[in-house]
Amino acid sequence: MTNTQANTRIPDARPKPSGAAPPRPAPRASARDRGVRLLATLFLAPTIVGIVVFTVVPIVGSVVLSLFHWNVIDDPSFAGAANYREVFTDSTVLVSFGNTLVFMVLAVALQLLIALTLALAVNGRMPVWLRSVFRSAFFFPLVLSAASISVVMKYLFNQDFGVVNWLLGLVGIAPVPWLTSENAAMATVILVYVWQQFGFSFLLFVGGLNNIPREIHEAASLDGATGLRKHLNVTLPLLSPTLLVASVVGIINALQVFEQPYVLTNGGPGDATRTVVMVIYESAFEQLRFGTASAVGVLLFVLIMAVTAVQFRLSRRFVHYQ
Amino acid sequence: MTDSHPTRRTLLRYGAYGAGAAALAGTAASWDRLTGADIPGRNDGSLVVATLGPAYGPEAIRTLTDGFKKVHPDIKLRINAVQAVDWSDFFAKILTQIAAGTAPDLVYVATEGVQLFAQRLGVPLDDWVRRDAEELREYFADVHPSLVESMMYEGSLYQLPVEFNAADMYLNNQVLKRADAGFPAADWTRDDFTALLRDMKKASGSQFTPYFWTNRLWGGVVPWLFANDTNLLAESKAPGGAWLWDSFYPAGARKGRGGGFRWTTPQATDARVEEAYDYLASLVQEGLCTRPEGGNGQNLIGVFSTGRVGVTPAGGFWAGGLHLAGMRADAFDVQYFPRWRTQRMQFGAAGYALLRTSKLQEEAWEFIKYAARRDTLMRLFETNQTTPARRSMLTADRYRETGPDHWQVFYDTLDKFPYTGPIPAPPQVAEVEQVLLKHTGTALASRRSVGPALRRMQSDLEKAMERDV
Repeated sequence: MTNTQANTRIPDARPKPSGAAPPRPAPRASARDRGVRLLATLFLAPTIVGIVVFTVVPIVGSVVLSLFHWNVIDDPSFAGAANYREVFTDSTVLVSFGNTLVFMVLAVALQLLIALTLALAVNGRMPVWLRSVFRSAFFFPLVLSAASISVVMKYLFNQDFGVVNWLLGLVGIAPVPWLTSENAAMATVILVYVWQQFGFSFLLFVGGLNNIPREIHEAASLDGATGLRKHLNVTLPLLSPTLLVASVVGIINALQVFEQPYVLTNGGPGDATRTVVMVIYESAFEQLRFGTASAVGVLLFVLIMAVTAVQFRLSRRFVHYQ
Repeated sequence: MTDSHPTRRTLLRYGAYGAGAAALAGTAASWDRLTGADIPGRNDGSLVVATLGPAYGPEAIRTLTDGFKKVHPDIKLRINAVQAVDWSDFFAKILTQIAAGTAPDLVYVATEGVQLFAQRLGVPLDDWVRRDAEELREYFADVHPSLVESMMYEGSLYQLPVEFNAADMYLNNQVLKRADAGFPAADWTRDDFTALLRDMKKASGSQFTPYFWTNRLWGGVVPWLFANDTNLLAESKAPGGAWLWDSFYPAGARKGRGGGFRWTTPQATDARVEEAYDYLASLVQEGLCTRPEGGNGQNLIGVFSTGRVGVTPAGGFWAGGLHLAGMRADAFDVQYFPRWRTQRMQFGAAGYALLRTSKLQEEAWEFIKYAARRDTLMRLFETNQTTPARRSMLTADRYRETGPDHWQVFYDTLDKFPYTGPIPAPPQVAEVEQVLLKHTGTALASRRSVGPALRRMQSDLEKAMERDV
C-alpha cells in the first residue's frame, strides 16, 4: 500500500440506517501519524528555510523596493507608484519587453524543434556508443558558462575578423554584420542561445521517448501506421507531458535571458537586443535606480507567472498522460 | 502492497539519528568558527583601498602595501582588488559594497566616476593639499594642470591623478610599409587620415580593416567630436580653483583653469556632432573602418599585431599590451589624433577618491600622497601598462624595450595641446555612456540614419541629464 492509499479513507459500502446520523468527529491522529509528520517536517525544513530566505524574502523585498526611490548612496524615499509609471512610459523598457517576448517565442520554438528532431534521430537505429557520443555532444554546451561561450561567439561572429565571415568568404559570400545590424543581431543572439540550451530539452525528450512502451508502437505498426503518422499520432501525444515540462522550463529561462545579449551585443545596435533582465541590471547597477529596476523585476515576475499559468491551463487540452 | 507506516522501532531509530545529528550540529555551532570578520584585515582598523583588480595584480598590491608599510608602519593597509571588466562594472561593485555596509576608505576612480563620487560620496582634499602644500609642490610641478583640473568638481580637488591615457593614434609599421606610406606628420589632418586608410585598404587583402575603433566613451566617437571642436554635452568650467592654481602653477599654466569641468546641456543634434557621425558613417560605408561594436577591444591586440588592422586610437597602455603580445618595439608607432577643425584630443585619468564614510581620513590622505609619489609610481607602472601622470617618468629609457619610437606623443598630447580635455563625464555618466553607445550603433548603420539616431540620442540624453543620480 502506498502512503497516499494508506491515508485515504475507503467509503463504507454497507447500507446506512435511515435517519440523519450525526457527523462523526475526525479521528485523532495516532502517535505514529504524528511521528511521520514530524519526521517529514524535519526533512523538509532545510528546503523550506532555503525557499523562504532565498526566494520569498527577495521577492517581497523587490516588491517593497519597487515602491521606493533608492540609489544605494542616499536613504530610500517612498515613491508610491512612480517607478511603475516610469516603467510604462519608458520606451527602452517597453522595447525590452517586446524583444524578450520575440526572443522567447523564437528561441523556445527553435530549441524544442531541434531538440525533438535530434532526440528522435538519436533514438532510432544507431549503435549504442554513437548514441552516447551524440548525447554528450549535444549536452556539452549546457555545462559551459553562458558568459564565456558568448565571449567566444563574439569573436567568431565579428564582422571584420570573425571565423564565420571568413568561412563564408571562402565560398564567395559577403561579410554579414552578425552583431552590428538591427536585423541580424537578434537572430545571432537566438542562434547562440539555442545552441547552448537545446541540450536540456534534448535529454528530456530522450528520456520521454524511452518511457514510451514499445508495445504501443508495435500495435500502431500492426494497424498500418508508418513513419510520420506514427510520430504524429503515437509518439507526440505520449511525449506531451515531456513537451510541457520542456516548454515551461524553456520559456522561463528564455524570459530571463541576460548573458548572451549582454556579452554579444550589449543590447544593441540601438535597443535591438536589449532584454528585460538587461534593463534591470542597467537600471540598478549602472544608473543606480534600484526602485525602477525592482519595478521592472516585479513586472517580469508577473509575466513569467502569467505565461506559465496559461501554459498549464492549455496543457489540459494537449497533454495526454498514459 | 506494503505498509509504509514506520514501525515504533523505526521511529525510535530515526529519533536517535535526529538526536545524534542535533548533538553534532550543536557541538559544531558551539565551536569558534570563521566568519567574514575573520578575513585578514577586515574590521581590524585597516585602511581599505579598493582598486580595479585586473590592473592591480599581486605584484602591484605587494608594491603598494610593503612600500606604504615602510613609510607608515603604524597604519594597517588592505588592498581590495575588485575584479571588474571595465569602470562601470567596477563602480557597480563598489556601490554594492557601500550598500552592504562594507565601504572601503579609498577607491581608485577614473574620469568616468570622478564627478559621481565627488558629488555623492567623496571628500574634497583641499584642506590637506593646503596644509601639505610644501610636500606636494614637487608633485604638481611634475603633473600637467589638465589632469589635475579633470579631478576637480565645483572648485574642489577630489583626487591626485596618478595615471592617464589620451586617445592617440597607433599605427602598424608593417601595414604602413605595405601601403608604401610614410609615418604621418604631427599636424596631419582628417583628410590625410582618410587618404592613408584608403592606401592601406588598397594595399591589403579583403580580410583587412584599416581603422579599428571600439564603441565607448573613451576612444570611440568622442575623439572625433573633440577634433571637430564640439562635444556630446556642452562643456564649461565651474568657478573656483584659484586656491590651487595660484599655489602650484605658473601664470602660463593656470590661464583658463577653473574649478573643474561642467557637462550639462546635451548637444547631440549640433551640426558638428552630425558632421562627425557623417564622417564615421562614410568610413564604415567605404569599408575603411569597423562598424560600431560594444566592448573593450579585447581582441584588438591580436588583429593589430597580425597586420589585419592598420590604425587604432589607444593610450600609453597599449605600448605595454603590444609588447606583451610579442610585438617588437619597432613594429608599431604612435602619433597624435588627426586634426580637423582643431587638434584638441581627449584623455581619461585616474586617482584615489576618499569616501565620506571613512573613519580613517587622515590615514587615507597619507596613502593618497604615498600613491602619487614618483618612486611608488616607478615601481607600480614598470611595464608601460598606462601613462604615468608624472611627466618626469616618461623617458627614452622607459620605452626602449617596449616602444614606440614616438613615445613623447603620450605626454606631449597634454604639453603641446594644453586644451586637450577629459571625456565628458557628469555624475550621470553611466546613463550618458549607455545612450551614446546605443544610438551610435544605429546612427552608423547608414549615412541616412545619422540624423534620426542623433535626434533620439538628444532626447534620451536630455532625460538622463534631468535625472538626479
